[in-house]
Amino acid sequence: MLVLTRRAGESVMIGDDVVITVLEARGDVIRLGIQAPRDVQVHREEVYRELQDANREAASPTEDAVHALTRMLEKSDPDE
Amino acid sequence: MTTRTASRPIEATMTDPSLGLPTITMAVPMPGFPAHREFVLVRLNDEGLLFALTSVDNPELRFLVAPPEPFFPEYAPEIENQVFAALNTKDPDRLLLLTVITAGTEETTANLLAPIVVDRDSMRAMQVVLSGSGYPVRAIMNRKF
Repeated sequence: MLVLTRRAGESVMIGDDVVITVLEARGDVIRLGIQAPRDVQVHREEVYRELQDANREAASPTEDAVHALTRMLEKSDPDE
Repeated sequence: MTTRTASRPIEATMTDPSLGLPTITMAVPMPGFPAHREFVLVRLNDEGLLFALTSVDNPELRFLVAPPEPFFPEYAPEIENQVFAALNTKDPDRLLLLTVITAGTEETTANLLAPIVVDRDSMRAMQVVLSGSGYPVRAIMNRKF
């Protein structure tokens, strides 16, 4: 891990097009501004991890689970 | 500035003539699946309530997705302008929302925090995290229709 010391207003470059700027440091809270290209998503780590977990859990459901869900949708058909 | 989107039927989406199915390209890969960019959308239910989003790169990978409106009538997320830019969206009304479903034999949930937003003209899509929206990652799916 690269460790850097920066002051408010100073930035760090990651690659050619990601700029992280320290906006403010107050106590144990640091506010960062992040500029990244459109196809680079910036998330809080815990949100990203949660989403990754949720996606992995949702991926490739078993046939049984798909059938259970299709049955639920059929039962709720208003025409029935 | 943000814009509200409405769920719309998927019938009107463009189709890949070679496959006969709508092909969706992820402008940004889904978290956890960086290698999968191209997906086909397959209808699983006659009423258009359930679809499978299947990876072209690996057909064994598929997600169940659904338009959120029939299940969550109150759900009206606001999509930020940067999403329009990433999807090359020219008309926000052409956006389609799909919620990712986790199907279990006991309980089925929908990811309302991070819907997949599809531009129906470019067929580009991305999973958008609605930070600060308070929407849950696992909302229990009910039959509200």
